[in-house]
Amino acid sequence: MTAALEVQSLCRSFDGIVVADNISLSLAAGDRVALIGPNGAGKTTFVNLVTGTLKPDAGRILLAGVDVTAVSDVERVRRGLVRTFQITRLFPDMTVHEHLMLALLQRAEKTGRLFASLDSFKDAGAEADDLIAQLGLAPVADVKVRALAYGHQRLVEIAIAVALKPKVLLLDEPAAGIPHDEVLRIIEALERLPADLAILMIEHDMDLVFRFAERVIVLAAGKIVCQGTPEEVGRDPAVRAVYLGSYASRDRDALGPGPTVGRGRA
Amino acid sequence: MAPIPGRPAASPRPGCRSRGVPGRELVAPTVVAILGALAYLAFPDDLAFFTRIIVAALFVMSLDLVVGYCGVATLGHAVLYGAGAYAAGILCVDGLTDPLLLIAAGSVAGVVAGLVTALVILRAHGLPQLVLSIAVVQLAYEAANKARDITGGSDGLSGISPGPVFGLFEFDLWGRTAYVLALVLLIATLVVLRRVVRSPFGLLCRGIKQDPDRIRAIGGTIYGNLVKMYALSGAVAGLAGGLTAVTTGVVGLDSVSFEWSAEALVMLVLGGAGTLYGALVGAVVFTGFEHYVAAVDPYHWLFVVGALLIGVVLALPAGLGSLAAWLRRLLPQGAP
Ligand SMILES: Nc1ncnc2c1ncn2[C@@H]1O[C@H](COP(=O)(O)OP(=O)(O)OP(=O)(O)O)[C@@H](O)[C@H]1O
Ligand SMILES: [Mg+2]
Repeated sequence: MTAALEVQSLCRSFDGIVVADNISLSLAAGDRVALIGPNGAGKTTFVNLVTGTLKPDAGRILLAGVDVTAVSDVERVRRGLVRTFQITRLFPDMTVHEHLMLALLQRAEKTGRLFASLDSFKDAGAEADDLIAQLGLAPVADVKVRALAYGHQRLVEIAIAVALKPKVLLLDEPAAGIPHDEVLRIIEALERLPADLAILMIEHDMDLVFRFAERVIVLAAGKIVCQGTPEEVGRDPAVRAVYLGSYASRDRDALGPGPTVGRGRA
Repeated sequence: MAPIPGRPAASPRPGCRSRGVPGRELVAPTVVAILGALAYLAFPDDLAFFTRIIVAALFVMSLDLVVGYCGVATLGHAVLYGAGAYAAGILCVDGLTDPLLLIAAGSVAGVVAGLVTALVILRAHGLPQLVLSIAVVQLAYEAANKARDITGGSDGLSGISPGPVFGLFEFDLWGRTAYVLALVLLIATLVVLRRVVRSPFGLLCRGIKQDPDRIRAIGGTIYGNLVKMYALSGAVAGLAGGLTAVTTGVVGLDSVSFEWSAEALVMLVLGGAGTLYGALVGAVVFTGFEHYVAAVDPYHWLFVVGALLIGVVLALPAGLGSLAAWLRRLLPQGAP
């Protein structure tokens, strides 16, 4: 079966500093993969490269087997590659319901309609209400997002992505910035995502990673340093080294393989 | 994030004013129609002045489409208006006398001018965009000035004498026909534009204004949609220009000037951008000040307008139009 998303040898540097160093990975439909790594490891940059917001220096990106490296970011979204943002990017003056209508109508390619009333799109309206209810946002459906609690805003980020019915979803720290006890809401939302959706989640919250991911990829200084099941990665001394910050002072290649951890491309 | 009690999804929420109220979009046009009729009855000697207000209101509404709804920065919007005014005026001098056809031609010319302007200024953003828009309006002004054989140059284009509306209603000395025609066009435009800003396209444009990159991330394009809005804006500005040519019988260089563009922006900020009716309020207040205060003191009226503008921007950043929303909140709950 062709991978939903395949990334081949992606490279990118800023002013000589390498932030994506020969990254290759592949996601199949239904995969739940976590991408972890210390601050500044290049996780968000990787997402930007895959979505097309940034141009890679080298490497290829394939969606459902089709090379999209030269395809625009907008077109990639239309082909089912959707991302969320680490720092919430919403439209402050729009209500939650309007956000979902916008996403649903955009997906249906109806946002060019000049003279149709929004209220006349009954199907989209009902679908928006459904999504809102699923995420427990019904009481704030008609509140402008600028007035929402940050945790609710994070849920709206996810709701928009779901409304776009992606085939591949890149979640950039969906639980960032919200109190630990509210992470549960995010987890519930993520667990309800369609089973055949391929998801790559960037996350620092290890509870969330362990609960969500079947496979974990560790990125440090733009390079994949190891990958495996959450348990395997958790045991890997290289990962500990990375998170303790001692990684930078050691020769990368001198890192012995962890006892049970597969390296490089899966 | 406070825990949210589970509630059924599709039930209409209390306090939801923005959705599912049929006929809501007809409130503003109805109010305008009533006020317009009252003005006609109460001040029959001031109809030419009211017509000028309506022309300004149409022009400022057109500006609101690109500035208030799309976040484009422009001080060159008079290009769209002037194109409409000159197109209607020149065609009339050349023998086309049906006023509605002339206004329609003005609207088409406005669309063309809008597309050309969009092509140039949408390449840039923010300050460079503003500067480009000024360059465009200066170029248009110079072009109109140089082409004096067809535009009349700095003397203005005169000899515009359109026939009767529908072949029935002559343009009279008191400006009654002109006023009624202008009022009808204003109401029709208001109905159409309120529909547009509440359409999926209107929602998309609001998104583009607030965060274009986020729109791209949901699969929406920016440039093509802004060009489309510019074309629509040109249709309205060109209509206003055509209307002024038909109702006043003259077109001057001021109709493609930087000053007229800037005045429109002042009116928009005064009334409040991004609401359409704010554009109306701004046009009425500004043109009213110009008319009455300038009659009392022709040298210092801009001083008064300046003071008013500062007061409004500081005290009511959302414009005078926001007073209406503020008053509505004072009404008892349940009132429309
Ligand atoms: N547009 C840019 N220009 C220059 N440098 C950049 C740019 N974007 C990112 N960087 C640099 O690339 C490195 C990786 O940044 P990135 O945001 O991808 O890290 P991250 O893994 O997402 O970190 P965090 O966990 O803090 O979100 C950082 O050193 C950052 O300063
Ligand atoms: Mg990041």
